[in-house]
Amino acid sequence: MTRGEVARLSLVVFIFVVIQETVMLDVRIGGVHPDIMVLLPIVAGIIGGPARGATFGFATGLVSDLFLPTPFGLSALVGCLLGFGVGLATIALDRTAWWLAPLAALGGSALYEVTYGALGSILGQPQMLHVALVRIVVVVSVTNTVLAIPAMRLVSWGMADASTEGMPTSDAGVGAAR
Amino acid sequence: MPRRSRRPRTTLLLLVLAAVTIITLDARGGLHVVTSGVRSVASDAFSPVRSGVNAVVEPIGSFLAGSIHYGSVREQNQKLQAEIDQLKMQSAESADQAEALRQLSALLHLPYLNNLQSVPAEVTDFGTSDFAATIDINVGRSDGVQLSMPVVGNGGLVGQVVKVSHHTATVRLITDGQSAVGTRYGPAPGSLAVVNGTGPGKPLSADLVPSNTPLTNGEVFVTSGLQGALFPLGIPVARVVSSHTGDTASQESVSLVPESDLNHLRYVSVILWGPNA
Repeated sequence: MTRGEVARLSLVVFIFVVIQETVMLDVRIGGVHPDIMVLLPIVAGIIGGPARGATFGFATGLVSDLFLPTPFGLSALVGCLLGFGVGLATIALDRTAWWLAPLAALGGSALYEVTYGALGSILGQPQMLHVALVRIVVVVSVTNTVLAIPAMRLVSWGMADASTEGMPTSDAGVGAAR
Repeated sequence: MPRRSRRPRTTLLLLVLAAVTIITLDARGGLHVVTSGVRSVASDAFSPVRSGVNAVVEPIGSFLAGSIHYGSVREQNQKLQAEIDQLKMQSAESADQAEALRQLSALLHLPYLNNLQSVPAEVTDFGTSDFAATIDINVGRSDGVQLSMPVVGNGGLVGQVVKVSHHTATVRLITDGQSAVGTRYGPAPGSLAVVNGTGPGKPLSADLVPSNTPLTNGEVFVTSGLQGALFPLGIPVARVVSSHTGDTASQESVSLVPESDLNHLRYVSVILWGPNA
C-alpha cells in the first residue's frame, strides 16, 4: 500500500465518520439510525478482495469503536469478518457490474448487524440481542443499499492500486476472476 | 484446479485474533484505561468537527426542505404560506422554549437531591449505537463529571455516566440491558430489589422481589443507597405497571416504567457523587 493510498483511504474514512456522526445520527427511522460505516468493509471487499476487505474492515471497525458505547474491538472483529466474507463471495463475479455493490450492501449489512448483536451477546453484552434487531437490520440494510454506489466510487478512488489478493493464483483462475 | 493463496486466510486469522485480544483486554480492564483514554481523545478532537458540520448542514437541509415544499406554488401563495409558517414557527419556538424552561426549572428544584451538588447538562445526542440505550450530554471532566456518576431528570433517575471526555459525556440509560440499579420499595425501611433494563423502549424488570409480594400499580422504587451502592439514597427510579407470580416462580414478575420521561429528555443533572463519597 502506497503512502498516497493510505492518505486517500484515511480521507475516505474521515468523510464517512463525519457523515455518520453528524447527519446519520440525526436521521431516525423507527427509532433507528443508519450506519454507513458498515459500507466500508463491504465495498473494500468487493474492490480489493478478501485480504484487503478484512484489513480495511478491521481498521474502520476500530475507528467506529472510538465513537460507540459497545465493547471496544467488536466492530473491528465483525468488520474484518464481513470484509473477508464479501471479498470471498464476490471473487468470481464481475466486479464492474452496477448491481453488485447494492446487492452486497443489502446482504452484508444485514449479516453485519445480526453478527454484531450475536457476538456482543456472546461477549458478555446480552442486552445487544434485546433490541429491535429486525428494525435495525431493515433500516441499515436499505439505507446502505441506496448509498452503496457512491460509497463504491469513493473507496475505489481511495484504493486506486487495488490488488487481486486472494484470487486464484493459476493463470486460468486469475483470468476467470478478471 | 486453481490454487488459492493462503494469505487472505492468514490475514483474517491474525485480524480476528487481534480483535478478540483487544475485546478481552478491554473487558478485563487491562486495556480499558488505554481504550477509554483514546475514546476520550477522539471525542474531544471530533467535537468541534461535529459542531462545525452541523452548523453547515442544518441550514442546507432547511433550504432544501423549503425548496421542495414551496417549489410548486405561485408567488402569492408562497408569501402567504411563508407568513403562516413564520407564525407557526414562532408558536412552536415559544412552546419549545416554554418546555425547555419547564425542564430547566424542574431541574433546579429536584426534591430528592437534598444537599448533593449537581451540574446541569443539555442532551446533545440520543444514542450513537442502535445496540445500546445511551445519551450524550454537553458536560465533561472540565465540569467535574467523572465515570459512574448518577444522572437524573425531573422525574427521577436517568442513568449513569459511562464515558467522559473533556467537554462531553455519555450516559447509559436505566433502560439499557446492562443497567442494574439497587432499589427499595414498600413501607420504610423498605425491601430491597434490583431494577434491570431490558432494552431501549422496553419496560424495566425487577429482581429479588419475593413471590406474592403485595405490590400496587404506581408504587415507586427508589435507589437503595446501600454502602458501596452506585447511586445515592432516595432517587425515584421507576413505577410499577404490572406484577404477577407464576405458579412455580420464587420471585414476583414485576414490570416498571422509568419515572423520568427518557424519550423526551432535553436537560438532565449530573450528580457530583461517587460510591465512596
